[in-house]
Order: sequence, then structure tokens, then C-alpha cells
Amino acid sequence: MRGSGEFLGRVAIAAASWLVVAFLVLPLAVVIGVSVTETEFLKFPPEGFSLKWYAAMLGDRTYLDAFWLSAELAAVSTGAALLLGVPAALVIARKRFRGSQALNALFLSPLVLPNIVIGVAVLQYASLMGFARGFFALLVGHIVIVIPYVMRTTLASLSGLEISYEEAAQDLGANSTATFFLVTLPQIKPGVIAGSLFAFIISWINVEVSIFNSTPLQVTLPVKIFNYVQFTVDPIIAAVSAVTIYVAILAVVLLDAVIGVEKAATGT
Amino acid sequence: MRIGRFEAILLLGGPVLFLVVFFVGPFLLMTVASLQAKGGAWTAAQYVKVATDAYYWEILYETFKIGLWVALVTFVMGYALAYYITFQVKSRLVRRVIYIVVVTPLFTSVIVRSFAWIVMLGRQGLVNQALQATGLVSSPLSLVYSKTGVIMGLSYVLLPFMVLTVSSILQNLNRSLLEAARDLGASPLMAFLKITFPLSLPGVIAGSLMVFTLTVSAYVTPSIMSGGRFNVMSMLIFQQYMVLFDYNFGAALAILLMVATLVLMGVYVMLLERRARAAG
Repeated sequence: MRGSGEFLGRVAIAAASWLVVAFLVLPLAVVIGVSVTETEFLKFPPEGFSLKWYAAMLGDRTYLDAFWLSAELAAVSTGAALLLGVPAALVIARKRFRGSQALNALFLSPLVLPNIVIGVAVLQYASLMGFARGFFALLVGHIVIVIPYVMRTTLASLSGLEISYEEAAQDLGANSTATFFLVTLPQIKPGVIAGSLFAFIISWINVEVSIFNSTPLQVTLPVKIFNYVQFTVDPIIAAVSAVTIYVAILAVVLLDAVIGVEKAATGT
Repeated sequence: MRIGRFEAILLLGGPVLFLVVFFVGPFLLMTVASLQAKGGAWTAAQYVKVATDAYYWEILYETFKIGLWVALVTFVMGYALAYYITFQVKSRLVRRVIYIVVVTPLFTSVIVRSFAWIVMLGRQGLVNQALQATGLVSSPLSLVYSKTGVIMGLSYVLLPFMVLTVSSILQNLNRSLLEAARDLGASPLMAFLKITFPLSLPGVIAGSLMVFTLTVSAYVTPSIMSGGRFNVMSMLIFQQYMVLFDYNFGAALAILLMVATLVLMGVYVMLLERRARAAG
């Protein structure tokens, strides 16, 4: 009979799954928790409630500088990835030519290569070419790692698109630029936005590429946290970390609003 | 849309040029550097040094062992959650909330997530508090700077990838096969073992490959959670580049890590294919 055994199985799976959900939530909740403690050391559950560690963070220019550098880097590399990735995706999706598969693989390959290896390769190359450890070196490294995210979602949107609309526009005399901006782009917009959001976040959270191309004066927020945590852990770094968690939550909510988090996460 | 030959060259030229200059270029340079001595003379000395020193093989072995553990832990946890989201959660809202919980860590830097585990595993941390409260241990365990800690931390960091890859496969699974099995009298467990699990294998393989490769190349989590007590490959690479400034040997280690990972992945996929063929 299908009764109790099946029921027990379902309950066991549900219980295990909620434990896994707790496992996913707890560490982030703990960071937010310790960031509001009144104690001078990390304490969970926090003692009292105080925003003094956030005030301390805002009082330290270096955190704001790192925050802005990361934001700027993420914005510029996402913009560049869009300018490079969308046209390339368009040609790969719409034109049959020899080597298009190889090109596609080239554009997506930064996804499968270890970030640390990309980081050292850029450092080595930049040293040789004379642009090591500057904004430019950070920027090109980040563009390389975020291009695949823009390409992937753009390609997926393009392949799900009815080509006849584009052909109708062209048959009616629109040139390809007008066709792209008036017909194609409005339809692939959600995919392009989702890809940009992924790209922005991938750059924003990166440590492995940035760490080889930063200087003490020019350091991204994740690298700054990394350097700090290696020596000491205290509530101020918990406050800085908590801020990045708030940014993450905001980004996920945005993603959910644009194309739905489930669709974005599983591609279905 | 129809794209002319000239337009195609115009649109592809920039992106391809960019990748050739800033991606292919750096990799070629690194490969060349690994085959040179510091002065620039051609030599295989860097690779001979790696091959003949047991130290590097041990670290490579340890790194891969951690990779296997993390793949196993994330598989067990991730499969359960993916199965639950796909087959048992009926409410769209609950499903959405779970997906948000799975994706939010991915949008948070690895350094923040590793820091979280240092706080959790510390002597005053939540894990030790819980262990002591339940009477499992009498004095706090030193979990932070241990391999167990690193495996925990990396499993946490990479779990979302496993959940998402498995659940995207489970969602596309043909459910009428399951109904047919049940109608023909299979127990739920039997239906799972004979239908659901075999059909979800591609997701499990893709997920575990992803987790394994990301683990063996991870730098941040092992480097802050090992507390300098042991090394993994990526830490050796970092030391060569940033402490010893030996770009040639560093390049050889980076290429070794990359090639070893690719070979292992290839063998894994081949073995699975052979088994699948044997199973008919």
C-alpha cells in the first residue's frame, strides 16, 4: 500500500531540505547578527543592538574608496561586456559561418578556466606590457570573466526569438541597425538585463582576479575584506560584510522582478 | 535577422580582438613563461622541478581529495533540496523563497561567505555552542583551521551550483514516466531508483564536475580557513606569484593545476559513459 512508508519518506526529505535551507541562510544571518553587536568582539547572538560598527565603517575613508572602486569596476566592465558580448552573440546566433562554434567556445571559455589562473595570467601579461596593477589591468581581467555571462543569456534569448519578425522588418525596408534596435533588442531585453546583472555581480564579488591586480592604494572591497580577515576578525569587518549581503539581496530581488529568480537560476 | 558579411566582420571584430589580446595573449604568455628559465632561456626545468618533488604531488593529491569530499557533501545536500523543490513544494511562493535563499549566497562574495564560517566555527561560534549545549563535546573543538572546516566552508560556497544544476534537470524530467511506473505498481522508492535518479544523472554529473573544478581551483576559502596550517594548489600558485615573484615556476604550477583538472574530468566523464553503455 502507498500509505505510511511514502508519507515518512516525504517528511524525511522535507525535513532534510529545510535543514539544508537553514545551512544556506544561517551563515549570512550570523554575519548580519554580529554586525550589530555592542561588544568589541564578534558575538552571536549579538549583545544589545547598535549601529556603531556601521558608523565606524562610514568613518573610515578606505572602506568607501574600496566600495566605490568595486562599484565602478563592476559598472564599467559590465558596460564593456555588453558592448562586446551582445554584437558577438547576435552574429553567432544569426549568421551561419565556419568557425562559429569555435568562436562561441572562445567567448564562453573564461567560465571553465580557474579564476586564479586568469588572474595570474593577466598579471604576468600586464607586467610585460607595462600596465600592471592599475585600474586598466583590473578592468580587462574583469571584462574577460564577465563576458560569458552576457553572451550566455543573450544567446539564449536570441535562440528563443521568432526570426520572422526581424525578417519582416528587413523586408519592409528597415536596415539592420534599425531592425536590431526596434525589433530585436526590445524582445531580448530581459535576457540582456539578467546577463548584465550577473556580470555586474560576478565582477562585484570577485577576489581571485582582483587580488593579483590591486595595489594597497587601489583595492576592491572583496580584496580589502580578504586582506583584513587574514589578520583579524572583528565587528567592523562584519558590518562591511553585512553591507555586501544587503547588496546581494537587493540584486536577487531585482533579478526576480526582471525575469523571475527561478527562471534566471535554472534556465527553465 | 539577415546580417551581411561586412556587418558580421564589423560586429565580431572588436570582441574577438579584445579576447585575443587580453585573454588568449595572457594564456600564451603564461605557457611560454612556464617553459623558460628566469632569464628567458628555453627549458623544461620548471616542470622537472614539479615532477621530481613529491611535495607538489602530495599537495595536488590533497587538493583533489578536498575536491572529492566537497563534491560528495554538496551532492547529498543539494540533491535532497533540488528534489524537494521540484517534486514536493506545491506553493509557488515557497518555491520562490527557497530559490531566493539558494541564489543570494551566490551574489555574495566568497570572502564574505568564508568569513561567515570563521565566525560560525570559532571557539565561541555557533557550531561549538550547539555541540556543547547538546553535550556532544565538553570543550570547544578547534574547527576553524582544519581540513574539515575548509570542506564545510567550500561545501557551503558551492552548494547553490549543485542545487541549481540538479533542479534544472529534475524540472525537465518527463513526469508521465513516473506516473507509469507507479501505476504499474512500483513503490515510490523503486520509482525513484529506477526512473528519477538515472534520468537526473546528467545533472548530478554536471553539478559535481562544476563543484569539483571550482573546489580545486578555489583560493579564498582554503587560504583563510586553513590558517596557514596546510596548502592547496592555488595557495602555492599565489605564493609563487605574490611572495616569491617566480612567475616561471608559478606559471608551471598553474598549468599543472589546469591540465590535471581537465584530465581528471575527462576520465570521469569517460568512465560514466562506459558504465552507461554497459548498463545498456
